[in-house]
Amino acid sequence: MIYSSTLVLTIMWGAAIGCIYVLLATGLNLIFGVMKLVNFAHGELLMIGAYIGFTFATALGVNVYVAVLLSMGLVALIGIGVERLTFRRVLGSEKLNEIFVSLGLILIFDNVAVLLWGDKSKRIISPFENLSLDLGEASIRVDWLIAILIVIVILIALVFLVKKTKIGMAMQATSQRSQTSMLMGINIERIYVFTFALGAALAGAAGVLYGIIFPFNPYVGALPTIKAFAIIILGGLGSIPGAIIGGLLYGIAEQTAVITLGSIWRDAVAFTVLIIVLVLRPEGLFGKRGE
Amino acid sequence: MFTKDIVSWIKQSRKSTKFYIFVASILFSLIIPFFLSDSLSIRVLTLMALFTIYASSWNLLATSGQGSLGHAAFLGIGGFTSSLLALNLDVPPIIGIFIGGLLSAAIGFLIGLTCVRLKAWFLGMVTFGFAVITETLVSHFDDFTYGVMGFRTAPLVPLGLPFYYLALFLAISCVISIYYIMKSKMGLAFRAIHQNELEAKMIGINTAKYKLYAFVISTFIAGLAGGLYAHFLRYIRVSIFTPANSFEPLMMSVIGGLGTIEGPIIGSIILVAIDSYLPNIDKFLPTIHGTFIGPYLRLLGLGIFLVMVVIFLPKGVSSLLRKIYKHLRSNLKEKKS
Repeated sequence: MIYSSTLVLTIMWGAAIGCIYVLLATGLNLIFGVMKLVNFAHGELLMIGAYIGFTFATALGVNVYVAVLLSMGLVALIGIGVERLTFRRVLGSEKLNEIFVSLGLILIFDNVAVLLWGDKSKRIISPFENLSLDLGEASIRVDWLIAILIVIVILIALVFLVKKTKIGMAMQATSQRSQTSMLMGINIERIYVFTFALGAALAGAAGVLYGIIFPFNPYVGALPTIKAFAIIILGGLGSIPGAIIGGLLYGIAEQTAVITLGSIWRDAVAFTVLIIVLVLRPEGLFGKRGE
Repeated sequence: MFTKDIVSWIKQSRKSTKFYIFVASILFSLIIPFFLSDSLSIRVLTLMALFTIYASSWNLLATSGQGSLGHAAFLGIGGFTSSLLALNLDVPPIIGIFIGGLLSAAIGFLIGLTCVRLKAWFLGMVTFGFAVITETLVSHFDDFTYGVMGFRTAPLVPLGLPFYYLALFLAISCVISIYYIMKSKMGLAFRAIHQNELEAKMIGINTAKYKLYAFVISTFIAGLAGGLYAHFLRYIRVSIFTPANSFEPLMMSVIGGLGTIEGPIIGSIILVAIDSYLPNIDKFLPTIHGTFIGPYLRLLGLGIFLVMVVIFLPKGVSSLLRKIYKHLRSNLKEKKS
């Protein structure tokens, strides 16, 4: 009996974490797909998003789930600034330069966050803090369920945006052939800014949800970024469904590792899986063979 | 025979400015401890030599187009190997650091086998992940590594001047070896791969083989640096695997000048100097949230500096020095004529 409740908990807990990873990975995947840009500082946007949510929720008393929307908007604005000031200038130059700029951005964001909010651990207190759903042996926090729901809504909206709207089609065109789409009259610089802002907004939402579920400090961004990359690789580059399945599988695998092997294995197991996948299938589990 | 070679080499290269700068900087680094003889300065100079080795190893790998984000793994493997050998088997550290380098190179070879097929960012992630995995393994096998609490490492040579000259000797040897590697056919292949891997493959370069070479050489030097570092700090624990240690050589190489011989040297001098001397002004700065803001301001400044260098000085500070030198020389020539 205890065993089955642990199983349910592991899956739910993994799914809740996985959802946050899915948001981050989808944003990264969009940015990578359209701009061919690798932004290792994406997780810092998550961290900033968490702090923005924290500020709205505690200092101004805004409902935490409304703060998700506010954080999305503000982080998108920050994303626009970052794209215009830094990445646009190195885009198309050497690939390693993007990695260097991202590392610089990590240092900048982390330390600005320390200067603004201090380096102590913080949490966003949700109004449903003590509510949980009883499922026989296991009980699940309502906040996890809400987080999962919010992620589903955001993802549906995103798929609609990419598949059905004009700007979404332009994004798809740019991701396929940027030069040709420029010839078709698409302003690809605008598409780049829009894509980056969209990815940043997803990270902003992920940040507030992260802050509701976990305590956070200015340094929480780095590992989720790397994990989001791992998920993208698991799911296949440029594949949104792949990122979603990859994210959920990843979250559950991580929780299983924590429960069976102990918490120091949380990160290592994930990377081991990643390296094995890369050795066996360099194009990812669901990716297409190519290049 | 050997001395003849050296004499002819000196004769050959006597005219080039590069040679004069090389000799002058070696002489300078040999006599500088007599002018800055307080213990802090010697410590800083030793760290500069140490990080020159470490950053050069990273830079060599980057020259072949492979940007590692987990070089701390190899630094740590070298450090732990040498320290544990001295602790358990009484292997003299001077041999231990080379064994550490060899073990690091052997593991680098295995990781390299995976990495040579990967693109820049995949490689960055695999190496980063490898550092995390190594850290976890070292913590997990604590009974054998004593990594969680750490332990005091054996002395290599007395700290101070002897250690400085040993580190300097190894740094110069590494820099000279890397210079010759970069001048050889192998170095040419590295650069070709860096510029365009597909084209390099097309003109018949076995890219996988050369990328693996770069990995093995680089991880050997990183392991050597790790051994030195552990015996220099006289202490080692699992925190040597921190990502900060992985990013340090990257920042040094990029700020100094990526893919050049002098870049990592200049970068490590700049960064070590900033890390060692700027904290002196921390106490004059105000506190926020009860902590001193100095360290954070320094890192923030470093981040801005790194981004600015990548955007405005893609070839690093060394390219700026080169420009200034050329400018001065052309001015001088104009005056003469």
